[in-house]
Amino acid sequence: MLKESLVSEFQKIVGNENVLTTPEALKAYSYDGTTSWIHEPDCVVFPKNTKEISEIMKIANAEKIPVTPRGGGTNVSGGSVPIMGGVVLCTTKMNTIVKIDKENLTATVEPGVVLQDLTMRLMKEGLFFPPDPQSFLGATLGGIIAENAGGPACVKYGVTKQYILGLEVVLPDGRITNFGGRTLKNVVGYDLLHIFVSSEGTLGIITKAELKLNPIPPAKKTIMAVYAEIAMAGESVFRVLENGVIPGKIELLDNWVINRIEEMMPMGLPKDADAVLLFECDGIPEAVEKETEKIVEITKKYGAVDVRVAKDMDEANKYWMARKAGFAAVFGKAPTVMAEDVTVPRGKIPEFIKRCRDLAKKYDVEMCILGHAGDGNLHPSILSDIKNKDLYERSLKAMDGIIEGAVEMGGVLSGEHGIGLEKQKFFRRAVDPVAVELMIKIKALIDPNNIMNPGKIWD
Amino acid sequence: MKDLTELKKIEKFADQCMKCGFCSFFCPVYQEERVETSVARGKNYLVRLALKGEQEFTPEMGDIIGKCLLCKRCAANCPSKTQIDRVVVGARAQMVKDKGLGFIKNFAFRKVMANRKAFGRYLKLAKAFQWMFPKTEGNIRHLPDFLKALGHGRNIPTLAKTFLRDMVKPVYKPVNGEKPKMRVGFFMGCATDFIYPELGLKLIDFLTKRGIEVVVPENQNCCGAAIYFSGDFETGRMLAEENIKAFKDVDYVVTACGTCSSTLKDYQKYLPDNEDQQKRYEAFEKKIKDSTEFVIDVMKIPPEDFKLRKEFEGKTATWHDPCHLIRYQNIKEQPRAILKALKGLKYVEMPNADMCCGMGGSFSVYHYDLTKKIADKKMDGIKATGADIVVTACPGCMINLIDNALRNKMTQKVYHFLELVE
Repeated sequence: MLKESLVSEFQKIVGNENVLTTPEALKAYSYDGTTSWIHEPDCVVFPKNTKEISEIMKIANAEKIPVTPRGGGTNVSGGSVPIMGGVVLCTTKMNTIVKIDKENLTATVEPGVVLQDLTMRLMKEGLFFPPDPQSFLGATLGGIIAENAGGPACVKYGVTKQYILGLEVVLPDGRITNFGGRTLKNVVGYDLLHIFVSSEGTLGIITKAELKLNPIPPAKKTIMAVYAEIAMAGESVFRVLENGVIPGKIELLDNWVINRIEEMMPMGLPKDADAVLLFECDGIPEAVEKETEKIVEITKKYGAVDVRVAKDMDEANKYWMARKAGFAAVFGKAPTVMAEDVTVPRGKIPEFIKRCRDLAKKYDVEMCILGHAGDGNLHPSILSDIKNKDLYERSLKAMDGIIEGAVEMGGVLSGEHGIGLEKQKFFRRAVDPVAVELMIKIKALIDPNNIMNPGKIWD
Repeated sequence: MKDLTELKKIEKFADQCMKCGFCSFFCPVYQEERVETSVARGKNYLVRLALKGEQEFTPEMGDIIGKCLLCKRCAANCPSKTQIDRVVVGARAQMVKDKGLGFIKNFAFRKVMANRKAFGRYLKLAKAFQWMFPKTEGNIRHLPDFLKALGHGRNIPTLAKTFLRDMVKPVYKPVNGEKPKMRVGFFMGCATDFIYPELGLKLIDFLTKRGIEVVVPENQNCCGAAIYFSGDFETGRMLAEENIKAFKDVDYVVTACGTCSSTLKDYQKYLPDNEDQQKRYEAFEKKIKDSTEFVIDVMKIPPEDFKLRKEFEGKTATWHDPCHLIRYQNIKEQPRAILKALKGLKYVEMPNADMCCGMGGSFSVYHYDLTKKIADKKMDGIKATGADIVVTACPGCMINLIDNALRNKMTQKVYHFLELVE
């Protein structure tokens, strides 16, 4: 429990209404988007600016109180769960889009800006910010940056780190500092900026960010390729890429997901297909036409039993709606869903899918596969029930097998959600010991009192 | 073990929430407050704890489940289809069961609103004193709201000189003297009765001109929205029984109030305690039609057959979707079709037409500051259309839209769609 006097100090800094301590409020800040991680903070603080954050951190550092930064709390790694109690520092009230600079294609944002709000503002200017964790309706930029989020557009556009030019950060001792800047190129000194991107809140608090933007591509085209065998779909992914086409998105839905979507909103998806791939090409119209033709040709050559090019925006939107509904389809179907976030080298996708299916059989669990196949980031999801002990344990074993399989194939534990609490037990097995040691030293250097989001990543 | 009857009924809905947090984007309250207890996910989580016996109905918990407009915007957009309205209402009902209603609500709901005669008497009393309050164009909706809202700087309008109940006949035959096409019960609702009696007369006139017999049962009661949405299921069921009885001999029940039509339809959803009630409420639901849906879906009047009243010729209109029409009853296209087809009227769609105006029944009484913030966004949408008039079909929304248009010094006037047509 926090000392009463500290609560009133926080109140002096941010105002009474911006400090929550009632048991009900603390319970409401004990979770994130994961199913199994819960821990209550001792207090929730809503700063309105960088200076307030700096003052809060000075107190927390002096008193050695854990501080867990949090935005919309949509993350699925447990990263924003205050597992050691202490203070949840919630940035949702710092939600101003400070500036959109059309000349330099940049935007300056506060950490609590919700991605969809940014996207809508940018759309009016003909601009877009490619990283998009599919929780865009609630996810805030601070969290997106701290988790180095990905999304469907990564195959062509990369993850969040490619779109962060500069950060303003409050360090655990309260010092305010800046990394990077507003230029595309910046090779001055060690790249501290990118330690903070993907730091999962363990090094400091992001208080402002300079984002790199893209113009909205003038043309788009959607292609759906249908497969009788999911591994063939996996193969098509790297065949398309090795043949010189880099679509904006390549998404995979398996038979289970297709059928749940059809139950929810019938739209004529091929219910017998073992899997479908959804491609989106974007760019200048002529290039999009050519790329589309090429994708049709390659997917047919490498085993697609049917390939449909969406004839208009309506049909395209329908397919992408299906992809988005995939999330709901999975999560609405079981009391506990374990959604994986591993990423394998693209050439290994077919082998990895086969491994997943074997594991499902071996442990007798229901599993579906969907995800951002284009960059090898798949989300095999096990439908489980935490209240059913036997099923839950088998699910955990299958899950372990999936992760081990991915790492064996040269993949990584997480493509876009981060380690947080969810992947901790695999961390040291999957990351080189020297690298782990360096990370721990960096952490100790920046946060000697270990107050920033303690208990996460390797802890 | 504690009796958790009401919570048990909504357990399966509460369990559907996957904590994704998408609701935050759609919640008008969260958009203002940005705090987890404001949004569906937080409320739902606390209700689940209550189900497990890990959360008491403390006053703080009461505030949290009270701070919901029940606009259902989150529910409509929830990927896992969590029916948070049922969870919130169920939690309120459990709280009332555990703690009772509290003096003010007990008096307001049970002694005043649920007693038609008393309600009228109190309002008449209030009417005698209303010269004391600032004037506006519309009027208030519920007596308790009216009294409580005083002193909040709200524009409180005058009550009708004569209440509708004192003007209507029990039966209206079709004006052409022919055999009636159907027999329709007119449900008044408080707002039409005490505030906009001319709306009721207009609806009766509209229907009887088109060969419909309209009956106005004297023993109809309040629809129960403010009552059972606050968790007073006991009074809610009593009202349901009275209304079902009052309208047992009609083909349809029609009302000019979106909240009333939705509330009457939804007895079956929120209130049943046993199978018998379930069946009878469901049968009642089938009879209920909002005026907007009745004229298009039942009477099948083609939209282009509606005639615009002279005074609106040349005006530009925009439509505000009452939550109780668009999300509770799925009535979206019918009013738009009429407005678009009206010759002499220009229709413009407003940005966020489906967003709650901030009224939320008694929500606006307890959280008037929030109501104003939410309504300001609505007003921005209305301003952006450049419309002269805002049309809707819920007197509750009308009252709030008028209050906030005045507060924002806007020129737009607010009308019920019935006021536009001949």
